[in-house]
Amino acid sequence: MAKRLFLAAALLAALALAGGAWAGVTKGVSDTTIKIGQWGPQTGPAALWGAVARGTGVYFQMINAEGGINGRKIEYFLRDDAYQPDRTKAIVKDLYENVGVFGFASGVGTSPGMAVMPYLVKNQIPWVGSASGSTHWAYPPKKTIFAVYPNYPDEAKVLVRYALDTLGKKKIGFLYQNDDYGKGGLEGAQAEMKKRGLKLAIEVPTEVMDTDLSSHVLKLKEAGADAVVLWLLPKQAAITMGTAAKLGYKPQWMACSTLSDAPLMYKITKGLWKGVIFGNFAELPDSDNPLMVKYRKAQQEFAPKERWGVFFYAGFGFVEPMVEGIKRAGKDLTVDSFVKAMETIKDFQGIFGKVTYGPDRRQGIRQVFLAKCEDKGQAKRLSDWIDAE
Amino acid sequence: MDMKRDYYEDIRLLDSGSQIFWLIALLAVLTAFPFFASSYLIYTVNLMAINVIVALGLNLLVGYTGQISLGHAGFFAIGAYGTLVLMTKLGLPFPAALVAGGLISALFGFLLGLPALRLEGPYLAIATLGFGLTITQILGRIDYFGGHMGLQAPPLSVFGIEVTGDAGRYAVIMPVCVLLAWGLRNLTKTRVGRAFVAIRDSDIAAECIGVNLTYYKTLAFAVSAFYTGVAGGLMAFVLGFINPHTFNVMISILFLAMVVVGGLGSVLGSIMGAVLISWLQIELNRITELPLLGPLLEQISHSVFTISGLPNVQYVVFGLIMVGIIIFEPLGLYGIWIRTKLYWRTWPF
Repeated sequence: MAKRLFLAAALLAALALAGGAWAGVTKGVSDTTIKIGQWGPQTGPAALWGAVARGTGVYFQMINAEGGINGRKIEYFLRDDAYQPDRTKAIVKDLYENVGVFGFASGVGTSPGMAVMPYLVKNQIPWVGSASGSTHWAYPPKKTIFAVYPNYPDEAKVLVRYALDTLGKKKIGFLYQNDDYGKGGLEGAQAEMKKRGLKLAIEVPTEVMDTDLSSHVLKLKEAGADAVVLWLLPKQAAITMGTAAKLGYKPQWMACSTLSDAPLMYKITKGLWKGVIFGNFAELPDSDNPLMVKYRKAQQEFAPKERWGVFFYAGFGFVEPMVEGIKRAGKDLTVDSFVKAMETIKDFQGIFGKVTYGPDRRQGIRQVFLAKCEDKGQAKRLSDWIDAE
Repeated sequence: MDMKRDYYEDIRLLDSGSQIFWLIALLAVLTAFPFFASSYLIYTVNLMAINVIVALGLNLLVGYTGQISLGHAGFFAIGAYGTLVLMTKLGLPFPAALVAGGLISALFGFLLGLPALRLEGPYLAIATLGFGLTITQILGRIDYFGGHMGLQAPPLSVFGIEVTGDAGRYAVIMPVCVLLAWGLRNLTKTRVGRAFVAIRDSDIAAECIGVNLTYYKTLAFAVSAFYTGVAGGLMAFVLGFINPHTFNVMISILFLAMVVVGGLGSVLGSIMGAVLISWLQIELNRITELPLLGPLLEQISHSVFTISGLPNVQYVVFGLIMVGIIIFEPLGLYGIWIRTKLYWRTWPF
């Protein structure tokens, strides 16, 4: 009997404690700290993209060194999910339920993101700046989820418009990877052509595992495309360039921002990448934009061994709007005040294009700029930020 | 000690009264668990239970029948896609779709079992590896199955009851897991189970005493694939979203690791292996957040390994644990369990 009484008392006490913890206080926020989490592959097949998550870490270190946001220092929790959605979900649940984070910053990949999105939506957990160009995050809009990355259709529109208007090309070919990534680009290109009552000269799909692309390139050549847009991964883009050179086919090549690491592309194509025009979602690595200068310095200070590549500093860019939102929410930071503050962001610019949110708008950036690959893989900026619409 | 005096003692499901007692105690704990645990813990246990189902199925193939497979991610994918497609496109209720998904997977297991009749050891490993890779490639190319975009799981309802939350899913997954574990233990005590073991020990000898190799080898593949398919169907609901990438080759290797680390040819071993590996996969992530040890390991990792830092250490530790178990206890966790049991039986002598 005494035991039972004791159990009941213990249970009540536990409930009271739990109740107390819930009342009033926002999860992950104290007077001096904000806890923010991120998942990102540091091992496994997608480990290369994990640089994004480490970039975010350095960005937060920099902010903390400057005194934090509204007097609060950021406590950053980076966990490796190896790009396995079941692990991503475990990480997100653990960070939210056990560690008690306020929200999530960036996070690499479409399938890991898709696995955790319902949970984030259900519990109204802020998540800003997924490092994936998927349209799932922002359409339809969800209260606490804010996308930053310009999505693929928008980027393709800009590339096609540039080919038609500025370069004066007539026949545009489109070589894409047959999945949501490639199809996203294709959709945008088709929309831009349709607006002018035109059609793409030819659309050629490839599969990720294809290593012989000669028939694909031949199709483009036979259709007489004088500009070809590539929506591929680096390896296949390199194969395409090699095959085209062998076939003596020289259209104006254009590429999406996943191929925007010009020095790398120049190296793996043995110089064939020269002259390719590509989209960019972030400032070029050697840009003298004051923020880029500042971030480079932070990298040298906090993570001198990291390569200053686009993935790494994209980790800064994806999270800039979140930091801005937390700043605007002020001292009284709750999920609601954060969402409201985010919705006031208009034409905010960091190292990416201009970010705008609103009550019904969750897609932050709809801009890219174009650059061209020069000798030795140097990227030369061709345009200012261009709006997709 | 474990002396059997007649045939019926050998085929009994539970050997002793104490086993019955502990089984009931375990079931009671499993029943009470969701009422006390946090949602995160329940999610972890759900993952473990699913991995236990796969490990049971794979152990039947690897441990009991002596056929290797590096392609179980393929069956896992077939089960997951089968269940979701049958529910969303054909409108089957969940229990029927889950079983049907398992049966489709079993059919593929049977088909893979046919060429496996002529293959052994490393050749079989490569053939099954190819199967696992092919399945995800094919799934990615068929738009009906969502292509590379993947599929969303529909709302889960079982016999008219809407299931939401981790505790709800636990209530679906755990009974299936217990049922399948019981089923496997039962199977291994029958004529079929003994035929599997005979094939493992020597297939020529087995054939001489009248075991039909064609029948039993393909059957082992089919049953193993059924288990894995059912686990895949459950996994689709735990994740809520699947795409071909979810079922990569790494998963097949982890499945095999569970079976080998746990103990080949043992139900208890499968369970222990699956639980340990799932737990390590999730918990080693937090190694950096340990006081003292975490920063120290991170420092070592930064200076010796690459910039990505600690996750390297995480994998090194993971690998060391597995290598350690195999070196010091070739029978896996099950071997450790047996030795502990013996020790206590004769204690304090």
